[in-house]
Amino acid sequence: MPSGPDMLYFWIAFGCYLAATVAASLFAGLRKPALRKAVFWLSVVGLAANTIALVVRTVLSGHPPVTNLFEYMSLFAWAVVLGFLFLWKRPGLELLTVFAAPVAFCIMVVASLFPASIEQQLIPALQSYWLWIHVSLAVLAEAAFAVAFVASIMYLIGARRGFGGGASADQLDRVTYRAIGIGFPLFTIGALFAGAVWAQKAWGTPWSWDPKETSSLIVWLVYAIYLHARLARGWRGVGAAWLSVAGFALTIFTILGSVFFAGLHAYG
Amino acid sequence: MHALVWWGIVLVGIVLAMFDPRFRRWLASMQTAITLLAIVAALSMAGVLIGQNLPYEAYVGKHGPGLGGFIVRSGLSDVFGAWYFLLIVTLLGVSIITCSFVRILRLVRTPSGLRIGKLGSLLTHLSIVVVLAGGLVTALTGFRVPAERFLSAGDEIVVPEGGYSLRVDAARTEFNDRGMLSEYVSEVTVIEDGRDLFPKRIEVNHPLVHNGVGVYQFEMLPSATSIDEARLGVFVSTPHGERGPFEVVAPFGEEVEVPNTAYTVKVLEFLAHFTYDIESRTARLASEWHDNPAVLVQLSEDGEVLGEQWVFAAFPAHDDGGLPCRFVLLDYRPDYDRALTRFEFAQQPGTPLLFAGFVAMSLGLCLTFWTRRPAAPADGGRTGGRAGGSKT
Repeated sequence: MPSGPDMLYFWIAFGCYLAATVAASLFAGLRKPALRKAVFWLSVVGLAANTIALVVRTVLSGHPPVTNLFEYMSLFAWAVVLGFLFLWKRPGLELLTVFAAPVAFCIMVVASLFPASIEQQLIPALQSYWLWIHVSLAVLAEAAFAVAFVASIMYLIGARRGFGGGASADQLDRVTYRAIGIGFPLFTIGALFAGAVWAQKAWGTPWSWDPKETSSLIVWLVYAIYLHARLARGWRGVGAAWLSVAGFALTIFTILGSVFFAGLHAYG
Repeated sequence: MHALVWWGIVLVGIVLAMFDPRFRRWLASMQTAITLLAIVAALSMAGVLIGQNLPYEAYVGKHGPGLGGFIVRSGLSDVFGAWYFLLIVTLLGVSIITCSFVRILRLVRTPSGLRIGKLGSLLTHLSIVVVLAGGLVTALTGFRVPAERFLSAGDEIVVPEGGYSLRVDAARTEFNDRGMLSEYVSEVTVIEDGRDLFPKRIEVNHPLVHNGVGVYQFEMLPSATSIDEARLGVFVSTPHGERGPFEVVAPFGEEVEVPNTAYTVKVLEFLAHFTYDIESRTARLASEWHDNPAVLVQLSEDGEVLGEQWVFAAFPAHDDGGLPCRFVLLDYRPDYDRALTRFEFAQQPGTPLLFAGFVAMSLGLCLTFWTRRPAAPADGGRTGGRAGGSKT
């Protein structure tokens, strides 16, 4: 089947995130509460449309919307907005939370670059309930890493220009740590453990040093370094923020890596 | 030999850690752990960016003789099997064991300091050792090998290290109503001590595991010697040149009329990869892959067989010249019901250990991060300074 009725909702979500991005940019400059409210409602409407698009797609295809990069990125954008909305009411994070929109919008732009056709028939390798477990946990973990990434970027900007008016350095550092603290176990369980169990069932080995497996391991190692450095050495601030940024850059590399590298995960 | 060297390094490392406090401190330090993690990450990234286990020519072709040669000589072309990668991973394992040992000692001395988060962290670290041990057990005693050949219905194959054989009863590629690939299916019978034990349907994600050896659906090809039907273009020779092409869809082995002529054609044979054996002067199959598909077409006129001719998809201009018609193989529908199947055999004795390690790691991480509030920052978090000095 080519693209389906879900695309209408996808484009509504796309438009809402775009409008929210514009409002977020204005809020960053003007700091008018009305603009933040606009970002919130545009993000909520975008999230609702994004949700409908994913549900419609799931119903039409009969499987979770995680079988190609269009679907994966749409789900990723959804999880990122959801993650930021959880932080919406936290005092001091007014500027941080409006950044959900630009991040989600960028992800939706990437999603729109990939074919959106609905495939009811999964290829044999993907016909497993592990698809749900493996990919959905991985995407939630990556959304948490996205939150950490934005907090780290804000920290780095604040470290250069001064932390005036918004979140304090300590608050941004804590958000980064808490987000990675949520994402790291999810990533371990979903991307690595569930992936290994599924790989054992499908390919006869839990680990093949496939490019996607290996880059997931690298993501895990970078966040492990971050957590060790922070927990045991008390390493905070600019260095830790850069590690978090590197971790998210590698996360994106892992997600999009199947486009550039052949391997067992090159499904489209 | 590799295993002996590995165990030697581990033992020397552990003995040194037990008796040399300076080495123990170095091994258990956070600085060392972070450095080792960073080296493993960097080498893994090299493994991702540089294609692994390719032929020498591929590296030279892509990177030039200098860099390509260096990649092969330095072992970066098989980095995950290189001695330095294994050494770093081993050191990391010994470092985690030492660090965990030091922490357990500390907890035994001051049990009042035992918190659920600390327990989770300890469990996580020890679980990494279990995961590495699982990987090591598999690396030392397990195997994963694809079968040497494709099998068709009726063929038998011995499962290595399994003490049993498989007979293929049927192999087919299934498609849904819209013609989309839905499953690769191999129906087999397990044979042990000369007796049929039980039938099993092997699919991707549904392997056969018997006597500790798994049989996995690895590859499947449509039949190499039969097709469903061929679409032929037929050119009829006349005194004034050629007429046609007349398009004919010929089911395999069935005689069909060539429209607007008195001729009939029949596809007698199919070879997926045609080759001609000069000695025996016969056509034969070079491989199971559809690299040079050809059909043997029989031409008849008013019930009388005029002759046969091999027709090649890749060489449409080929014509033996002995028949009043020339043929072009426009297309053919492969025979997926009599497919050729290829299995992969695997024994991974370390997998239960590896999964047990992962379960412990998941539990440990949840206890570490989801049951406690983060510690207050030492310096208000305003600087990028390093508190330094603390150990795991």
